[in-house]
Amino acid sequence: MAAADSLPNVNEQSLVAEAQAGSRVAFEELVHRYDRDVLRLALNLMKRPEDARDVYQEAFLKVFKNLHRFRFECSFYTWLYRIVTNVCLDHLRRRQARPEDQSPEPNPGHHEEGITDFFERQREHRPTLDPERQLFGKEIQARIASAMERLSPRERVVFEMKHYQGLKLRAIGDALGTTEETVKNSLFRATRKLRSQLGGLR
Amino acid sequence: MSAPQQTQCKEVAALLVFYACEETSAQEKARIEKHLAGCAACASQLAEERSLHESLMEALQASEQFDSGGILLSRCRSELAEALDDLSAPPLKKHWQPLGWLRSWMAMRPVWSAAVLVLIGLGLGTQGLPWLSARLDSGSNGQTVNVSPSARFTDEQLAKMAVASMSFSPTSDSTSGNVQLHIKTEQPLVLSGSVDDPDLRRVLTYVVENGNQTEAGVRLDCLEALRARTGDADVRRALLYAARNDQNPAVRMKAMESLRDVVVDQTVRETLIDALEHDSNPGVRVEAVNLLVRSLEGGTPEAAQTPEAVLAPEPVERLLDPSMERVIQTLQDLERSDPNRYVRLRSAAALRQIGPHEVQ
Repeated sequence: MAAADSLPNVNEQSLVAEAQAGSRVAFEELVHRYDRDVLRLALNLMKRPEDARDVYQEAFLKVFKNLHRFRFECSFYTWLYRIVTNVCLDHLRRRQARPEDQSPEPNPGHHEEGITDFFERQREHRPTLDPERQLFGKEIQARIASAMERLSPRERVVFEMKHYQGLKLRAIGDALGTTEETVKNSLFRATRKLRSQLGGLR
Repeated sequence: MSAPQQTQCKEVAALLVFYACEETSAQEKARIEKHLAGCAACASQLAEERSLHESLMEALQASEQFDSGGILLSRCRSELAEALDDLSAPPLKKHWQPLGWLRSWMAMRPVWSAAVLVLIGLGLGTQGLPWLSARLDSGSNGQTVNVSPSARFTDEQLAKMAVASMSFSPTSDSTSGNVQLHIKTEQPLVLSGSVDDPDLRRVLTYVVENGNQTEAGVRLDCLEALRARTGDADVRRALLYAARNDQNPAVRMKAMESLRDVVVDQTVRETLIDALEHDSNPGVRVEAVNLLVRSLEGGTPEAAQTPEAVLAPEPVERLLDPSMERVIQTLQDLERSDPNRYVRLRSAAALRQIGPHEVQ
């Protein structure tokens, strides 16, 4: 977490204290420090921009309403991620409960401007890749997406937070309100499942 | 591969996932690396793990570019700022909106609302206007109840009517016998119908018999309505009572005049004699004289229709009627001593009118 690591805690603490005292400016400063990571996590987990927006909004509103409960017992970032991951888990569980709502790929007809398929964008950003590689990459992306869907919400969140967000298992445990050992088990199961699904990729 | 070596491979394999993502302790890391140096199989598995990891990261890292223009992030920030504005803003004073729930319901269901409005319009048009018209016609402050003639009035209801004023207006066609009464009681009433209706007649006779509870004009109108119904015993009783007891002489006179068609009735005649002797108003006494003369002359078509007239004796026998003697006696007394000159004169004329019968 580049943002969290690069900020001196003292600044963060004073910002949080000001926000707790009612400063809207301080709160928005806190939001702007971390919301890129929050949105990225939400996008990676939810796979749909509209769902990611919902998560972003719901998570930061929860932070705003519950900021007075924050007692500086952990870092603000850890506390924020606990809220964000729980909101993501809620959304993923609700989505699982609705079979018709499980398609992870956004409808091409409903792409929002600037948020088109990021795999496609990735290809554009890598002009050196040959067409054969591009085709292969698309197949990989589809299989990865399918494999990720088979993970439980918690396995998925743990995997994403570990491999994409780069969080330590302890921090993930803090965020999810569980032990490092539980997170470890989730990561192990997630990796094993993905390996069995994607074993023939390489 | 030795058994201890197999055990080591198994332990290391379980840790390779975490080793690949640098989540092993320093002690574990040292043990794994030592084992990997001497175990080609586990080294191969680690390579496979890293390869898979790299594949996943290659795909997933693409999402880092998800919002290169920052459009989604910008939109999220704006939406959050708006939500925070809403949260921070003081609650708006909620204006009182009558039937707000109905308005919101109608806004959400335009088709149903249209249907409901049409039904309400139909209802108002077919029911509301007649109701409003009846209410305005009553001319009263309170709600008007149009009582059909078949309604039955209790004595208590009649007594309550007594405390209110009453107006009476016969219909333009007086021969139809239809009347309309506007009764102001606790709950205003409009009674309309024929005088022959038992209930309506009961109200009319009640008004006539309870002269102290309504205005004289009302009682006069009631007498006018009842005059054609003197064949009814109740009506006759009410008229006789009014003729004797009403405080207003005009009403007493009107009551007598209403009885003209049944003057041969003994009770009527006694009432007239009583009026001659005791009524304080000379006009009433004159009216009584006129009616008595009429009764003694007899032979009126109307009188012949009454039961009493059928049994009426011939003129000679009529002289034997004890009441006849009393009438003559009373008239003679009036002729001599009535304080009113016109009464004395009218009595003398009456005696002359019936004199021949007396001579015979």
